[in-house]
Amino acid sequence: MALRLLTTSSAGAPGKDSPLAGKRMGMVIDVGKCQPDCDKCIKACQQENNVVQAAAHKNHELAVHWIRKVTIRKKIETDEKAKKAEAAQKSVILVCNHCDNPPCAQVCPVRATFKREDGIVLVDHHRCIGCRYCMIACPYNARYFNFEDVEVHEEDLNKDRPKRSHGVAESCTLCAHRLDAVDQDGNPSPRVPACVEACENGALAVGDMNDKTSTVYELLRDYAVKRLKEDLGTEPKVHYIGL
Amino acid sequence: MPENAAHGRSGNGRGLLVSILVLIVLAPLGYYVVRGTAVALGGKPSVEFLERPATQDDRCIWNMEAGEMRLHHWEHLARIREDVVRFGKRDVPGLNECRNCHQSRANFCDRCHNQVSLTPDCFGCHYYPDNEHWDPQRFPER
Repeated sequence: MALRLLTTSSAGAPGKDSPLAGKRMGMVIDVGKCQPDCDKCIKACQQENNVVQAAAHKNHELAVHWIRKVTIRKKIETDEKAKKAEAAQKSVILVCNHCDNPPCAQVCPVRATFKREDGIVLVDHHRCIGCRYCMIACPYNARYFNFEDVEVHEEDLNKDRPKRSHGVAESCTLCAHRLDAVDQDGNPSPRVPACVEACENGALAVGDMNDKTSTVYELLRDYAVKRLKEDLGTEPKVHYIGL
Repeated sequence: MPENAAHGRSGNGRGLLVSILVLIVLAPLGYYVVRGTAVALGGKPSVEFLERPATQDDRCIWNMEAGEMRLHHWEHLARIREDVVRFGKRDVPGLNECRNCHQSRANFCDRCHNQVSLTPDCFGCHYYPDNEHWDPQRFPER
């Protein structure tokens, strides 16, 4: 038995044959279409990715969220304005922004967090050492750490996807496993992320911004969008309509 | 001479005695050496140690000889892991697809791992049932 060198990535290295070549994945969130009481996208993400629900953690602060919904409202000066302000609050969905200039990938001491060729920022949990530097670096508080191993009931588990165990940092993967999916013959058959699929109001869209036929391209072309904390220079790729 | 008389046998005879003793002690191991080599070369073992599934997924790249898998499966899995995580290449079957045929970890993976006292980290995150489909009669836990 001769020495077998592990040929990492000689077949999968970035290049023109790579399935990710030329893509730039982004997300568009329409704040106006998001219903305040609905949390279907959050439940779908938890179910799809085995993101343990907050209720399973004994300490609620340790709960991991890949997708969050926050309510923003204007500062209330008077009582009359308060009544108007109720109508003026917005529900904003927050996920990992998959920045083009990701601070988390920049600070990771072991390159466990990295930006993929198609722009998705992922954590390689096999390499993550749990230092949590990425959590400090992320300006959007999108990174979470697994402070404990949480027991998940088998019936709640998505058996096709791994769950993270104690000691690694994680964040939204833009359901890269769905975007990369291939069929039996090896041909690409991508599916939309779980949150996009679950949203009944059509508030979420994910796709290749370089692809002129994609929904995100059309939305970005037709609507004025904002991104979060644009002054920081992280170049996030999650865009908000109506923020 | 008086000093040499106390040592008993010496010189050539002593070396022969030691080598004969060593051969007698190691001879029972020879049985296992021969048996192991025969199985590695493709012979059928007398005792069923691992569950061999009846079905074979056409897409499974693990259509290799058993010896190749036994000696290198972790290297193949590691390469696939790099391709999937870093480069998004999912056209090669991974651990999830192993489960299609090798349905229970207790019948298959854990059999060798337990024998050599190896606890791979994989199953802490990747689902691979060990209680479902386990056949304790054929594959008792050691």
